[in-house]
Amino acid sequence: MAHTNQSIALVLSQAPGYSETFFKNKIYGLESNGFEVILFLDYIGPTEFSCKIVQTTSFNGNLFNDTIYSVKSLFNCLFVYPKQSLKHYRLDRKSGFSFFASLRRLVLNQRFFAYRVDWLHFGFGMLAVGRENIAETIGAKMAVSFRGFDHYLSPIKHPGCYDLLFKKHLKYHVLSNSMKQDLEDRGIMPNSIMVITPAIDTDFFSLHVRDKPTSVLQLVTLARLHWIKGLDYTLRALAILNSLNVPFHYTIIGDGDQKERLLFTAHQLGIFDRVSFVGKLPQEEVKSYLEQSDIYIQYSIQEGFCNAVLEAQAMGCLCVVSDAEGLSENVLDGVTGWVVPKREPKALAKKILEVSQLSDSKKQQIREVAIDRIKREFSVEQQIGHFIDFYKNF
Amino acid sequence: MGFKKYLKANLKHQKQCAMTKQKPLKIAVYSGEVPSTTFIERLIDGLAEAGHTIYLFGARTGRLGYRNGVKNFSYKQNRLYKLLYLAHYTILLWMFRPKDKLQLDALLKTRSKTLLYEKVKCYPVLWHRPDIFHIQWAKGLSDWMWVRDFGIKIVVSFLGTHINYSPITIPEIGLMYKKHFPNVDGFHAVSKAIALKGTLYGADRNKIKVVYSGMDLDTLDLHQETPKNEIFKMISVGRAHWVKGYTYAIDACKILKNSNFLFEYTIVGGLGDLELEHQIHDLGLANEVKLMGRLPFENIKHYINRADVLLLPSVEEGIANVVLEAMALKTIVLSTDCGGMNEVIENGKNGFLIPVRDPEAMAEAIFHLKTIPTEVKQDIVNRAKKTVDRQHSERQMAEGIIELYERTMQT
Repeated sequence: MAHTNQSIALVLSQAPGYSETFFKNKIYGLESNGFEVILFLDYIGPTEFSCKIVQTTSFNGNLFNDTIYSVKSLFNCLFVYPKQSLKHYRLDRKSGFSFFASLRRLVLNQRFFAYRVDWLHFGFGMLAVGRENIAETIGAKMAVSFRGFDHYLSPIKHPGCYDLLFKKHLKYHVLSNSMKQDLEDRGIMPNSIMVITPAIDTDFFSLHVRDKPTSVLQLVTLARLHWIKGLDYTLRALAILNSLNVPFHYTIIGDGDQKERLLFTAHQLGIFDRVSFVGKLPQEEVKSYLEQSDIYIQYSIQEGFCNAVLEAQAMGCLCVVSDAEGLSENVLDGVTGWVVPKREPKALAKKILEVSQLSDSKKQQIREVAIDRIKREFSVEQQIGHFIDFYKNF
Repeated sequence: MGFKKYLKANLKHQKQCAMTKQKPLKIAVYSGEVPSTTFIERLIDGLAEAGHTIYLFGARTGRLGYRNGVKNFSYKQNRLYKLLYLAHYTILLWMFRPKDKLQLDALLKTRSKTLLYEKVKCYPVLWHRPDIFHIQWAKGLSDWMWVRDFGIKIVVSFLGTHINYSPITIPEIGLMYKKHFPNVDGFHAVSKAIALKGTLYGADRNKIKVVYSGMDLDTLDLHQETPKNEIFKMISVGRAHWVKGYTYAIDACKILKNSNFLFEYTIVGGLGDLELEHQIHDLGLANEVKLMGRLPFENIKHYINRADVLLLPSVEEGIANVVLEAMALKTIVLSTDCGGMNEVIENGKNGFLIPVRDPEAMAEAIFHLKTIPTEVKQDIVNRAKKTVDRQHSERQMAEGIIELYERTMQT
């Protein structure tokens, strides 16, 4: 590969772990293509990266520590990075921040001033909030990735949180065309937005042998137990199947704060014995569940794109998903799986029943098209190529 | 007979009892915190006014203002206070009841939790030794079974979540109930439905008494006309918790909107909940559905009064107080048929019931409500008012609980 000599400061909240393979793959890929990557993390934990890692601030809530760190930071601003500090302060004032707010932002952002990089790339939208003027200060180009929650829910939770960001000159990375459209609707120029879908490890998630179908329909979902995943609607759909005497078993892989709610929902709907909550599992076990399942369900209310659905398709599961944002680009309705309007349990139940009754040859056809498409369009290699384009052409 | 009159009569009765050697009881009403929830405070007040002595134990979390007859033995939440508090009871027990102290110490040692904290909690109860220890939150039962070894009777309340879903979603709690319920002396259930659930964990049917919650009905007398709103006004009141089922109500609103039904839906207590805010945004209901923060009941009262219907979309309840309040305020109630709601509402007579988790049925019921003639509505709210007057007065609550205590003492 050609040596590009570009450097990228990638800002994340914490070191990407198992569920964020997306970022991990990206960093490895970039490094092997000659990019220098510096990782800025809000929280530093155990990590497997070879690249340089910097903690964004040393505030930790301890009064003594925080006071010392504030004084140190102010000292740095005044005597070590006076030029950058003045520039950042002026930009902040111009953006409408008060003297004290600008000072606060200065203290929080001064760690970035020591680095000369070509790109300052924020791993998700909310990470750029409060840091809108850093790139301009250090003479870097700015990029922001929007991944889903930050795109659809943060603006509801924090109205106006991206107002300043959207006024800046930067490049946007989004996961789906529907997110791109949404940004355009918010006034962002189409040529500054690039859609790069997530990628999965297509070597790991590849099907060797599918177990023979059993008499009990095996259904599975891989999701945090969070309300955006629409599991309440899913369970209601399954209660309809139950009332039609369809034999099924449903496994939910994942943990979260909605477990109590979902357990009680399953109980009240009379399907407690037909639903297993197996918790969060390592990838090997996830793979084995996918191998043994007939239909994968992702009936989310809100979804950026969803890696789990890519993995399920790669493993030859028949996928029934909702039409929440990126999902209808992830699964092509009637071609690689089925897309059902969200929040309609009756429609979901009907679709699951329909799919389970398809002929084996039809099922096989869908599976093959899906597996083929995932291998062709969602590999890590293919994604790295897109990111190199992303950084090269601005 | 008003509540005050009743209390006077009851006081007389108590004095008579005293003369006939039926002593007033010493009752510990225990919720872990002093002061406790509105409901429990109302109970404490009613019992004390009826001539019984109420003992309060636990952590002090707010300002106190109790009538005579309520003895407060709670501890402040600072280390020095707790230390002196513990020293005080340790010395008393050591000097006057050393045997009991040894027995309790041996028991507390077998628990894995911090011993000192356990002593702060338990010593005062051992020293003051009430006749009855009434536990409001069933989950804490295992910490208090020891009181029976010292001749104190245990009464447990079945109030809501602790019976309705905790033992289902957390199996260990279900097992703990099954272990201890057979040894409990008496149970207070806020509805027949929850009483039945209690029996699933080994509560003896004969030891359970259903006592409906009492409302301060005098403050709920607004006597206003039936509202004549052009836009159909619906309201729900309660914290944004999944058990309240607001997502189903908002889904129902979508159906209403799709049918060009003009309405306004306000959820008091729902403000700031991202799931609800997102759902409203997602379904394009920003003009119809409003989330509001928590309000003092004085204000809520007026909101309820102006609404065409109070909606209770819950998936589970004991008996929802807000429904009783709406009925007393003569606002029509549309409630899910969960928990004990059908013990208050008779569908079509004094309110309306729909199945849980069913937005279509909810929307249908709302369409129907809009078509009901004013006179019929008037009959419905009048009957609703009668129901709460009869079934949910403070008087019947105090009377019922006292009856439960007396029955418990006789066993």
